[in-house]
Amino acid sequence: MIHTDQQPEPYESQNEGAPDIQSHRDSTPDAAFAALLEDSAEELYEAAPCGYLSTLMDGTIAKINATLLDWLGLERDAVLGRMRFADLLTVGGKLYHETHFAPLLRMQGDISGIAMELRCANGDRMPVLVSSVVKYGESGEPLLIRTTLFDARDRRAYEEELLRGRKAAEEARRQAEADRARLQDALTVLQKSLLPDTLPTIPGVETAAHYHIASPDRLGGDFYDVFPLDGERFAFFLGDVCGKGPQAAAVTSLTRYTLRAAALHDADPASALATLNTVLHDRYTGSGDPRYCTAIFGILTPGASPGRLTIQLASGGHPPAVVLRADGTAAFLPTPGGLLVGVLPDAHFATAETVLTPGDTLLLYTDGLTEARTGADRTSLYGDEALLAFAADHAGKSTVDVIGALTDLLASFGDGLDDDTALLALGVPPLTAQP
Amino acid sequence: MDIFRRNNVTVAGNPQGPTVVLAHGFGCDQNMWRLTVPALADAYRLVLFDYVGCGRSDLTAFSEERYASLEGYARDVVEVCEALDLRDATFVGHSVSSMVGVLAAETAPERIGSLVMVAPSPRYVDDEGYHGGFSAQDIDELLASLDSNYLGWSAAMAPVIMGHPDRPELGEELKNSFCATDPDMARVFARTTFLSDTRDDLGRVKVPTLVLECVQDVIAPREVGAFVHQAIPGSSLVTLDTTGHCPHLSAPEATNEAIRDFLAGLPR
Amino acid sequence: MLKITARDAATGPVLEVSGDLDYRNATHLRERATATVLRPGQRLILDLSGLEFCDSSGISALIAAHHHATTLGANIALAAVPAPTLRILRLIGLDTIIPLHPDSDPTALA
Repeated sequence: MIHTDQQPEPYESQNEGAPDIQSHRDSTPDAAFAALLEDSAEELYEAAPCGYLSTLMDGTIAKINATLLDWLGLERDAVLGRMRFADLLTVGGKLYHETHFAPLLRMQGDISGIAMELRCANGDRMPVLVSSVVKYGESGEPLLIRTTLFDARDRRAYEEELLRGRKAAEEARRQAEADRARLQDALTVLQKSLLPDTLPTIPGVETAAHYHIASPDRLGGDFYDVFPLDGERFAFFLGDVCGKGPQAAAVTSLTRYTLRAAALHDADPASALATLNTVLHDRYTGSGDPRYCTAIFGILTPGASPGRLTIQLASGGHPPAVVLRADGTAAFLPTPGGLLVGVLPDAHFATAETVLTPGDTLLLYTDGLTEARTGADRTSLYGDEALLAFAADHAGKSTVDVIGALTDLLASFGDGLDDDTALLALGVPPLTAQP
Repeated sequence: MDIFRRNNVTVAGNPQGPTVVLAHGFGCDQNMWRLTVPALADAYRLVLFDYVGCGRSDLTAFSEERYASLEGYARDVVEVCEALDLRDATFVGHSVSSMVGVLAAETAPERIGSLVMVAPSPRYVDDEGYHGGFSAQDIDELLASLDSNYLGWSAAMAPVIMGHPDRPELGEELKNSFCATDPDMARVFARTTFLSDTRDDLGRVKVPTLVLECVQDVIAPREVGAFVHQAIPGSSLVTLDTTGHCPHLSAPEATNEAIRDFLAGLPR
Repeated sequence: MLKITARDAATGPVLEVSGDLDYRNATHLRERATATVLRPGQRLILDLSGLEFCDSSGISALIAAHHHATTLGANIALAAVPAPTLRILRLIGLDTIIPLHPDSDPTALA
């Protein structure tokens, strides 16, 4: 033992000027230094800020420090020779010890930083980080296991916080994905409801259609339909509502049912469009959010002789239909001056008429096709000329083949096609040679 | 599919010898047999593998659905046997793998001709008239602690929580990496293991069987060893004078000797 | 990107519209145009010389501007309409409703 507090150092007694102050100043570091020297290995072991444990190879506890006993709330006598290391652990820790910790320690000779939980006498659980090392004898035989346990309560609290944060983030992400999927389903159903499931079978007429959805997130405003008017005649229409999204879809729906109802009342194409014009204008213009559409509406009338089909149509601001002839030519069926539907209370719609004979096809399309951006830098538009040339190349083919070729064409545009596109073809099948 | 790669199959020992398959239990991987392999290598052809989700198996082949039952692990065994076209092999399974071996032998009797069960347990939870060693509450606690991810792999805890799969060196640093399986897959294996009840399968074992138990084993107490021995017709039971659940590591000589004696007594 | 700049000419307010006018931003033009103060007899000029792209939503905004002007007893004109948009305006018959001027110089429009 070293004593310093009672025995002044020689120089202090010689300095009588301010001995108290000097002595007082020096006493604190001296005492600390002395306490440090006083600390024995035994004291360090017992009162260390971590738990110490030595066990036989079978886990029987041979030595344990006071810190660990204090954490556990156990008396030394109850532990030494009576308990194994695994007995100090919770069930989870025990199983982990047997299945991971002990085998690894056997194989490696040491193991470190393993999280386990102590089961304390008062029922509490205390998270700890455990490291163990095997002490070997001179001939390499394992003698005992030395184990250190660190208090991991704060660390566990922090980890729990992290874990909670991650779980909340994962939950939010899952929820967002589920919401998105549900919305997607709803949009798909809604989009489908705007188009006919199938086209009706028309005697002596071949029909085909295609709808390209540019973005599954944005409801498109393109529409088409074909339906019977009476015993003989069929009506058809195809159009494009200005704008996108739910509002546009609502207009599309209104447009589709208005045209169907109007056609049954008065099948004249311009009259059907006029009815639609009135409905859209009355419904939307006063609302501060006017809505318009372009549309071609037409009537198919089978001719007196088989293979002849008369088509009368009217256009409200819609790109002109293309007629593909059996002889390999193609031409627009011009409908100039027809006004966008819904803009003015009294609008003018352009009408046209043509006759299809075997091998001829009438093609209706929305401007997604002609406005597709082409070229390497996506700056040119596909345009009317290219469409006409493409149509001529496929003139004489069946409507299914024409629509198929156009579908491939749309696919070839890639990201140059960023608008919904509707295609509808009506044709008279070519006369087949008698076998 | 490449089963050899999927299950990290290793073939060692004497190519002309009878085949012995060594299957690890819940915990580590085929490294658990490091003290067994040298003792058998001279006379036997040894097949080692890792179950999918463990060790160096192909983790992408893991399916929570498949490995939610011991039959899924038994399929791994049968597929390894088929890939090597094994006939009449001896299957040595540790812990839960013993029961996986029972199921595999039932599925593919022509492949597995005898069983060595090291510290087996057909059911860990106590039941009426059955002492499994754990109360239902114990198992719930274990599963809860597994779910909260707080056991063992804490050294890698923060990176796991924060999700840094792009920093594999965090995993490399783990000295214990060969036993540090993916926590999610380990959880599935633990759940499957500790909730299993294969007691009824024991009576259907028709092959020569050796049951090895330890004097003191928290996970498979001696009552369980006796139960397994009684339930399997014609089985023999050897009690090893060691504690813990891994006699092949804690008492390798005695364990190896018992296995060798059993193998030598098999009809060839 | 859509940019709208307002200035005054002898005939009335002028909105210079440049950039892309599409479904993402057509409401900006609609709101800007319908909030523009017009006295009866004035002319609202939309100067489209800087317009690079116009889709159907853009057309709707132009029509909304037309309705706004006519409702107030004023009128509207489109100046310097780029060729692609001009083609669409003709196609949908809008050129019969809204006067078009090739030049964006307001003095020439007056």
